[in-house]
Formats: sequence, structure tokens, C-alpha cells
Amino acid sequence: MNGLAYTFSGLSAGYNGTPVLRDLSGVVRPGLLTALIGPNGGGKSTFLRALSGLLPFRGTLRLGERDLSRVSRREMGRLVGVVPQQVRMGAPFTVHEAVALGRLPHQGLTTRRSEEDEERVLRAVARSDVEHLLLRPVTRLSGGETQRVMLATVLAQDPPVMLLDEPVSAQDPLRTARVLSLLRDLAAEGRTVVAALHDVNLAVAFADAFLAMKDGRVAFAAPISELDGEVLGELYDAPFEAYLSERGDRTWHVRA
Amino acid sequence: MKGTAAIREHERLIHRRALRLALAGLCVLALVVFLRLTRGDWTIAPGRVFELLSPFLNEVERRTPEAIVVRSVRLPRLLAALGTGGLLCVAGVVLQGLLVNPLAEPYTLGIAAGAAFGGALGLMASSLLVGPCAFIGALVALVAVQTVAWRAGGGRERLILAGIIVSAFLSAGVTFLKAIAGERLSAIVLWLMGSFAGASPGAALAVWATSVCTVVPAWLLGRRLDAVSLGEERGALLGVDERRLRGLLLCLVSLGTAATVGSFGIIGFVGLVVPHLLRLAIGPSHRPLLLFAFLGGACLTAIADGAAQSIGELPVGVLTSMIGGPFFCWLLLRRGAE
Repeated sequence: MNGLAYTFSGLSAGYNGTPVLRDLSGVVRPGLLTALIGPNGGGKSTFLRALSGLLPFRGTLRLGERDLSRVSRREMGRLVGVVPQQVRMGAPFTVHEAVALGRLPHQGLTTRRSEEDEERVLRAVARSDVEHLLLRPVTRLSGGETQRVMLATVLAQDPPVMLLDEPVSAQDPLRTARVLSLLRDLAAEGRTVVAALHDVNLAVAFADAFLAMKDGRVAFAAPISELDGEVLGELYDAPFEAYLSERGDRTWHVRA
Repeated sequence: MKGTAAIREHERLIHRRALRLALAGLCVLALVVFLRLTRGDWTIAPGRVFELLSPFLNEVERRTPEAIVVRSVRLPRLLAALGTGGLLCVAGVVLQGLLVNPLAEPYTLGIAAGAAFGGALGLMASSLLVGPCAFIGALVALVAVQTVAWRAGGGRERLILAGIIVSAFLSAGVTFLKAIAGERLSAIVLWLMGSFAGASPGAALAVWATSVCTVVPAWLLGRRLDAVSLGEERGALLGVDERRLRGLLLCLVSLGTAATVGSFGIIGFVGLVVPHLLRLAIGPSHRPLLLFAFLGGACLTAIADGAAQSIGELPVGVLTSMIGGPFFCWLLLRRGAE
């Protein structure tokens, strides 16, 4: 799978005339799990909405070689999969039916679902750890289960780019590790994977690169190895200090 | 694979249920057709009724009073009731899917109120203007609702709120027209109550033509409607141009509603009861739902029309509202409880 790079310059966007993103410039590279970090209200979700083509923007935003504003909605469905931050399920489709809708961008008006589609759907539910929920209505899932069903839908979509807004915010520790490992694997397959994360230690443990946002601007963008106390302190306006585990892993915490 | 087996079993269960439902629906339809064509003020033997319906009936027999009753009164009335019921029910399914709201109906969005206002305005001048004016009224109401919703920030909830506001305004307009209608008041009131009595073959044909124009595109777009009905922006994220889909389907639904309201007055709540019960039986997938909704709505309305006729030609709209109103309340309370 060949991912697609996002390149953006002078990117501004907002809601009802109020700017949230201000003059952003940078690159999101394929083949990497990029963690989107930063304080609340920093513009992470808005940035992801702009990347997913759901939010009008000013400036330049390219997906691969193409201007994002010229890519049709249908093609965006084939190129970009999105797990939103908050999902309120509407119609009570079963998990299987909902995940199967991930194949929709690849199907025409009269196309029937193929065997290959079905295989992709089953592989997606297995990878997302929702196999045991296949026949459950999506309206009767917990928050964590809903997040994983959304992830499964994106996997069934099989796009080269995946954008995830806090995909582990409702997961237990074991499933948090599984989901983030899966995202790392998907990036290793060559896809462009961007995940907004609040836990900087998860970003350090799983991501390849980070893009830090503050006040609607890109404050830092670098390989994850460069995320240190100094960067975190400046980003969150609070002193951070490192703790070493018995295994020698370093974790960052706000100094009380 | 355990998951695959469970899915296959579930799909078989749904197919079996759908097949049983289809058979039951077709049986009810056959019974309704039989009863509505053979029963009436004038007793005509069933065998004779079906002879008279033959397309090869000679010219002399076509002019007999009983042939006129069967071919020009009972058949158009039955076809009008079936087509209108099916169309309104399909309109309900489409709106509920688009707005992710089981309470959505042509009435919730102000489309029916627009058609009623336009039609009443037309009726003030001439009964020939009812149809065209109802259509214009429905379209103007739809544009007004869309504009108000868009100016208020867009979104499905705002669309319904805008529909309620525009409905209230147009209902006041209809009341105003009634107040100044003078001798035309009784015609407006009777028309607004909704009735298939006196349905012409042309009107029945128009409703069926509109039904085809609504059901076929809606069925083709059924999978996209599935994606949209999953929730806010889900359709867009799955490659559906939601704005275009919404624009197209809302226009089709407006056309359908205007065609029925213009010809037969307001027949409310048909698009609410049947889709909800069908979803419980066969699930929320729109392609089968649209077809079953057409069949169910057609049967329900034809039965209601038969009942209305047998109670001294009561307006059918009154009867459907008397059934649908309490059902709407039940649905609202159930939704609140959830």
C-alpha cells in the first residue's frame, strides 16, 4: 500500500467565520504513524477535519500531487478513512452491516458486494477486535466498542490515508496498546496514519513522528525521538519531568 | 469461520422474515384489491367486475353504468389510494434516513404544509390550479426550510426545526386563507381533510408516475442512504456527496408529496407508522425497506380509504391521522425513554 503525503502551506480554517487554524505549513509523510499532540483547543480536531476534506479552508492543502479541494467526495472515500472523535450512531445496523458500508466508496450504484469485499470486512473486524460483536446493533455498543467498530469500517475502506481523532480515548489499557500497535503496523505497510493523542507517553511509545499544535498553529513537527521535556514544557506551558521505569523506558509527567 | 457462519445464519433469518412479510403483504394487497373493486354502494358480482376490467371490453359494454362504476370510479380510487400510500411511505423512509430521525415525515419538514398552502391558494382561484400551486408551494417551502436551516448553521436537527417553523407559518397562512375564502371555504376544508372519493384516472396515473420517479432513484441510492443514516457526516466520510444526495432526494420527495397533496389533500402520518414497524422486522437497510414501505403504505392507505368510505365517506386523512397521531406520540415517548 502506497500512502500519500499531505503538504500544506498558509492553511487557515475555522467555523462560522472564527479562525481556528492559522497559517499552517508543513508535511505529513506516508509510511509513518504521526501523533498529533497539543493542549485542548489547540486545533487538532479542526486540522484533522480539514485533512479529511470536511472543512473549507484557505491556503494550499495537497494530498499527494492533488489539490484537496478538487478531490471529489467519492474519491476522498477511497483515499482517506476517518475515525471521528465522537460518534453517535444513528440507524441500528449490525456491526457487520456497518463495517461492510466501508466498502461503499469502491462500489457503484448497481454493484453487488463481492466475495473479496466480504473477506476484507471480516479481516477488518478481526484486526479491530470486534469479531465477537458482529451481529450486535451499533446503537448498543459501549464507547470503546464504537471506536473499534469505526476503526474496522476504516480498515474495510482500505484507504492509503487514515486519520484518527483520539482513537483510544475510550479503550482499556490492553486495547489501547492493541489499537496503537495496529496503527503502527498500518503505517509500516506504507499508509499515512495520523492519530490525535492526548497521552504523550503513548505517542512516544508508538508513534514515529509528532506534529504538535498550539493556538491553531504547528508548534513543532519532528521525529518522535525529539519529543522531550523542553518541547512538552513549551507546548503545554507546564514543567515536564521524565521518569525511568525498571526496564529503562522513559515516561513524561507534569511536575506537580 | 464462526463469524461467517453467524452472519450467514443472520442473513438467512432476515431473508426468511422478508419473504414471509412479502407474501403476507401481497396476500393483503390481493385481498384489498378484491374487496375495494367488488364492494360498494352498487352490488356487482365479483366475476362481472373482473370481466368489466378486461382491456378487451367492447365499446358498448364500456358505456354501461356498471362498467363506468368499476372502470372510472372504483379502479382509479383504488389505484390513487395505493399509489399515494406507497409514495408517502417511501417519502417517510427517505426523510427518516436522510435526517437520521424516525420522526421525520413530509409534514415534519414543512413540505406538506407548503403544498397545502399552495393548493389552497390555487383553489381560491380555480380547482384546476390546485395541483400546480401545491407543487410550487411544496418547492417554495422546501427552499425556505433549507435556507433557514443553512442560515442557522446547517445540520439535520436545524433542518427539522426549520421545517417546524415553516410549517407553523404556512399553517397560519392556510387558516388565513380559510378565513377569507368566503363561499370557497367548504371546498378548501374538504380538500385539506384528504379524500380519494372522486379520484380521476389521470390523477391516479400521475401519482403512480411520480411514485416510479421517486422509488427507483431512492432504491438505487439506497446504500448511500444507509451510510448517511449511520449518523452525522458518516455518509460524507464513506464517499457520499451528502449535499447532492440530500438535494436530489428532498426534491423527489417534495414532488411526490405535492402530487399527492395536490390531488387528494393532506393524508398524514402514513410515512411514520409503516416504516417504523418494518424496521423492527427487517432491519434498517434501505433497499428492502423502500420496497416493503411502498407495499405496506399502499395497503394501509387503501384499507383506511375502504374504512373511511364505509363510515359514510369520512375523509381518509382524518382516519390516518387518528391512527398515526397516537403512534407518533408513542414513538416520541419511546425515543425519549431510549
